[in-house]
Amino acid sequence: MIKDITIGQFFPGNSFVHKLDPRAKILFLIVYIVALFLCRSFFSLLLMLAFSLFTVILSRISPKMIWKSMKAILVIVVFTAVLQIVYNDKGDILWKPFASGSFAVTTGGVYGAVFLIVRIIALILLTSLLTYTTSATLLTDAIEKLLSPLKLLHVPVHSLAMMMTIALRFIPTLLREIDIIMSAQKARGAMLDNGSMGQRIKALVSVFVPLLVSSFRRASELATAMECRCYTDGANRTRLRVMRFSWRDAAAAVVLIAVSFAAVFLSFCPISTILLFQPVIS
Amino acid sequence: MEQKDLISFQNVYYAYEEEAEEPAYALKNVTFSVKEGEFLFILGHNGSGKSTVAKLANGLLLPTSGVVTVDGADTKDENAQMDVRKKVGVVFQNPDNQIVASIVEEDVAFGPENLCLPREEIRARVDEALRSVDMTEKRHAETYRLSGGQKQRVAIAGVIAMRPKCIVFDEPTAMLDPKGRRAVLHTIRDLNTRFGITVILITHFMEEAAQADRILVLNDAEIALEGRPREVFSEYELLLSCGLELPDTAKLGKALQESGVPFPDGILSPDEFLEAYMRLRKDH
Repeated sequence: MIKDITIGQFFPGNSFVHKLDPRAKILFLIVYIVALFLCRSFFSLLLMLAFSLFTVILSRISPKMIWKSMKAILVIVVFTAVLQIVYNDKGDILWKPFASGSFAVTTGGVYGAVFLIVRIIALILLTSLLTYTTSATLLTDAIEKLLSPLKLLHVPVHSLAMMMTIALRFIPTLLREIDIIMSAQKARGAMLDNGSMGQRIKALVSVFVPLLVSSFRRASELATAMECRCYTDGANRTRLRVMRFSWRDAAAAVVLIAVSFAAVFLSFCPISTILLFQPVIS
Repeated sequence: MEQKDLISFQNVYYAYEEEAEEPAYALKNVTFSVKEGEFLFILGHNGSGKSTVAKLANGLLLPTSGVVTVDGADTKDENAQMDVRKKVGVVFQNPDNQIVASIVEEDVAFGPENLCLPREEIRARVDEALRSVDMTEKRHAETYRLSGGQKQRVAIAGVIAMRPKCIVFDEPTAMLDPKGRRAVLHTIRDLNTRFGITVILITHFMEEAAQADRILVLNDAEIALEGRPREVFSEYELLLSCGLELPDTAKLGKALQESGVPFPDGILSPDEFLEAYMRLRKDH
């Protein structure tokens, strides 16, 4: 279960997507998400999905890994789709299971559910691709650079970025630790896999208390080690990698803006209705 | 030519809770010095105060009383603090808790980045450090995918990249399997012999200590014994009373002596043991 979590993992590579400037990648992702939420018709949504699939292929990340990250959020996707079907009462009634009451499955509900599923898939595809193709250090460097205007407001941008680097670095370590603690507690008879929901939740306390204690110990040891390596407040640190925008970023920006613009334009343009893709969310 | 002292401890006392009425001392009246290029082992059982020595040596802790100097500078001098940390690097027991970045070379670069070096210089130092611990091939690997021994070598590279004069290793092999332990020890010895870095290795594994220039034995916060490996290993009873155990060959030699065989004192390695045994056979 725990080994399936791939969030925050990085798969080194040399693809076009890997070589994009991390700052650009973050900005691209923001533009992409905004456009995705502005989409009102299937046609434009499919265009965005096609774009994200194209990017995934370009990144040469194995589809297996992508599927893994999808699996983790499947529950949420199904849950929101069901909510849409249950609560959306727009459009024609397709199926009315109970004679009494107002509950009915409508065309609006089904459209809405499918729409949401496609939208979430498109969203997760590119969001996970960002961490898959960018190392944690570069990612936090980029965030630090992008947030640096906040320094004027005395926001400790560098410390926040350093905290993120360390948090991402420790995700796999702590996941492994949880596995070890769970095995140890199971060996002592903890009911982690069976029993009622209440019992299981109680049993989880026996996992998280040791985890918390060991995390504090790790944090203190890491702080000592960082001090030994002359880390102070990090204000004037130089970096091994310097980020530079290149022609790749420019090319990617042009394509992304064109696609987003087309998608948003089509959402509000009558052509989409002519093409039988009805706007379904008003 | 007399080599000069790189690190010296003079009558150092250290208590973790200074304000307590009867402070429990982690170190009591400890005086010793380390010469440039030396390979010093500090042996002691758990709680003998040996880890405190590591933290005092680079100014991470300051002595309750007494003086610790590094290359002539008092570690209590705040202006010298950065310089002291640059000169004396420390490698700790658990590599997982020393690695800051997710990628090998980015972690090695962490120290030089803190020193605000130019990018080309950082690049050169990272490459050199990874070469010297034989981890160049793994420079783009993710740190959490490495074995324990490899992680510890990355941690060592991270310290080497700062070009310290001395590296203190605090139980660097305690969490490793035999293979990882051998690789790490080999790396440490290499640093001393090939690159001339002064090494202080703190451990409770006696068999590792045979290659030391000098050994210091700590027991209950005090120095119990100091000398060359052969001298130290011949103090059988004293070592036992310090909670330490001799290498198997030394124990065997001792057992032979006790059963009346005229076996020489201070046998360390299996090779020496064999040599002594062959000589005995020739004589009789």
